[in-house]
Amino acid sequence: MNDTSSRASQEPVLALRQITKEFPGVVALDRVDLTIGRNELLGLVGENGAGKSVLMKIMIGLIQPDGGTIKLHGEQITLKNSSDAIRSGIGMVFQEGSLVPNLSVMENLFLCNEAGFRKLGILSLRSMRAAARELLAQIKLHIDVDLPVAEIGPAERQMVEIARLLWLSKLYGHDNPVLIMDEPTTVLADKERETLFSILQDIRNRASIVLISHRLQEIVENCSRIVVLKDGKNVTEMPASESRLLKIEQLMVGHSFSADRFHEDEQRTRGEKEILRVENLGKAGWFQPLSFTVGEGEIVGLIGLVGSGKEEVCKCLAGLERADSGSISLDGKKLPSGSPSGAVRAGIGHIPIDRRSEGLALMMNVADNVNLLVLNRLKAGGLLSPVRERKNAHHWVSECQIKTPSIATLCANLSGGNQQKTVISKWLSSRVRLLILDHPTRGVDVGAKDEIYKLMRRLAKEGIGMLVMCDTLEEDIGLANRMLIMKDGRLVEEIDSSPKKKPDPKDIISLIV
Amino acid sequence: MTTVSDRLSRLASIREWIPAALAAVGVWLRRTGTVAQILTLVALVGVFAIGTKGKYLSPANIQTILSLAAIPAILAIGLHLTVVLGGIDLSVQGVASLVAIFVGLLMKNQYNSNDVGLWIIPISLGIGGVAGVINGVLNTRLRIPSFIATLGMSWVLYGMAVYINRAVNIQILDERIFKAINGMVFGIPNIAILAVIVAIIMQFIQDRTQFGRYLYAIGGDEAVAQQGGVKVEKIKIIVFTIAGIIYGLGAALLACRLGVATSRMGNGLLFPTITAVAVGGVALTGGLGGAKNAALGALIVTSLNDGMVLMHVNPYAQQAVNGVVLIAAVALTLDRKKLGFVK
Repeated sequence: MNDTSSRASQEPVLALRQITKEFPGVVALDRVDLTIGRNELLGLVGENGAGKSVLMKIMIGLIQPDGGTIKLHGEQITLKNSSDAIRSGIGMVFQEGSLVPNLSVMENLFLCNEAGFRKLGILSLRSMRAAARELLAQIKLHIDVDLPVAEIGPAERQMVEIARLLWLSKLYGHDNPVLIMDEPTTVLADKERETLFSILQDIRNRASIVLISHRLQEIVENCSRIVVLKDGKNVTEMPASESRLLKIEQLMVGHSFSADRFHEDEQRTRGEKEILRVENLGKAGWFQPLSFTVGEGEIVGLIGLVGSGKEEVCKCLAGLERADSGSISLDGKKLPSGSPSGAVRAGIGHIPIDRRSEGLALMMNVADNVNLLVLNRLKAGGLLSPVRERKNAHHWVSECQIKTPSIATLCANLSGGNQQKTVISKWLSSRVRLLILDHPTRGVDVGAKDEIYKLMRRLAKEGIGMLVMCDTLEEDIGLANRMLIMKDGRLVEEIDSSPKKKPDPKDIISLIV
Repeated sequence: MTTVSDRLSRLASIREWIPAALAAVGVWLRRTGTVAQILTLVALVGVFAIGTKGKYLSPANIQTILSLAAIPAILAIGLHLTVVLGGIDLSVQGVASLVAIFVGLLMKNQYNSNDVGLWIIPISLGIGGVAGVINGVLNTRLRIPSFIATLGMSWVLYGMAVYINRAVNIQILDERIFKAINGMVFGIPNIAILAVIVAIIMQFIQDRTQFGRYLYAIGGDEAVAQQGGVKVEKIKIIVFTIAGIIYGLGAALLACRLGVATSRMGNGLLFPTITAVAVGGVALTGGLGGAKNAALGALIVTSLNDGMVLMHVNPYAQQAVNGVVLIAAVALTLDRKKLGFVK
């Protein structure tokens, strides 16, 4: 391993220098450097929103940087799109996959690059099959190349993508391509994970690999060097052999911890009344039976990695999925399982992560969105009363400080923060008892974040219970009264987070990874 | 002695070979997604053979079914391409009506002295192709959903046909072509042979060319295909053009087969064509099914209707049965994972 890392320092394959990328309101990357050596397995870590995925997308040409240079074998290059990147020997295995499900393994391997198998315009299936089998044998994958991709497992799909990228870079004459793997192990079982890493170690002899993962353990075990990103900046890089988990965790979370960013002085203690009671709720394959409660005015943070089952728990609470076992009761009344309208009627509000597609009707105006759930109360003589509609909308617009030119403005024309406030006011207007907030501050600017925090504190004062999943651990800790830690589908720990006694993020990270 | 043992071993190898071949055929059928269709057809034939006391299986009736299925099969092969793409093409009636008028007025007829003979084939294909290019451009460049773009086009073309023809029946007097189309070889209608040839060519293009591969890639996941470098817009325009060309062929054959052309000729073609595509197992969500499915679907729908006529089913009930068949076929083939919301 020492041998390879010394070679890596001599001869970088790909070097990114001072890469900067700004999106409206946020600096996603601030002068980030990244070098990838020959035959290197590089680990890239950082929290959600640290800028890992933006950096990767720049490396494969999906996003253009605002500043900085990219050098391939010492020569400066510009990557206009992903096929440019492929031609330069840089490819990425996406988390969600980039294979066409109805085409066979063989067809996917050579899609868009069939020219070598063509004679008089006709494709030779025999030579394609032979080439496909050979390619897959190189990475020790033995499956029927004629199977549609939809019928093979996630681990095999990943291997097919790797084989495709290796083949393509060879086709374009690169002896040491750069493979980027985004969270490759989240969809894999333990056994498959081991196989993947043994194959990656093997592929390393003819490629450089950038591995992004939340599982620090596997990064430390497998990578030769680790780069840590935080808030769009390089924090550090170090040889993996010298690194310890604890140190990386510290670096990922950082030290800048301003206490009142989350208005902790306004945090109220849990009220007497219990709002939500979840008992032995379980769904096979998603999460093990678990129980917890949310009290009046309490903010409960639900913490865990992607795949820990936290999203699925929230889906069951909102009635979007039917649980296999257990019960959910709100204010002492049992909820029907798997009924979104039942959940809404009982008083559970759900603010989804993707407000553009699920939380708001973007092509409707502010008033219609705010009134959507309470149309029943706005009737006069069996018909909707425009007067009452306007009154209700005005009330909530001023209550939640939604900055909009008028209540007749289309929601599509509002800023992210104001859209989010509109979603929240929609639920408030329906006299919600429990709000599930799925990443409420994702994609909104700093000022709007603050207003959303304030709004959440006020909701708590009014006695509404909240279950929240945040973008960063700091946000979770800062906002919550109590935190529930989930790992691999189980509720592993419950941590108190009252003001002045906020837990240390490092302790929590070690619980979730 | 050696010859005997040779023969024996050859026999043994044949005995091994037959199940292997059968298994290979089975795998091929499963992969091509035609098992359910073939079973449906066999069941239908069985029911009608018993119901009509064998009349259904008489050579004359089988010839009738084959000749009646040919043109719907050709039209379905055109239309199914756009469905594989994930869209749909509803312009078949308009294209057919306009092509019919050109066929009537350019071939030997009682109204003018034109007689283009076989030149009518490239002319018909050309008209269909132009309509298809327009469909494709409307869909890709103006980004109009294909079902609206092609539905609109259908009425534009139909309007043109009515404007030219004013619903007059034009007798086509070209005896040679009439006979060729209604003739038979070894008891098989020529037109059915033609339909099979069209199906084989199209299926070959789908299986063995880059164009075919891209067609299914777009139908399977357009975003991934685009990212991989498929020229999505170009392929879409080509697909709509080929579909139009095939409608042109179907319409010319229909007019020549009937010996009469009128602007009303296209009316009522859309429903059986779409039913054939769906029944054949081409998923409306795109990416699944080929020309053989479309042709098989047309054969199933024609067999069903022929059987119902022979069994004296009430004609109105027959229409209702067709409607039920369409809905059931779509329900069975739809890939619901691909649909977020059904609108």
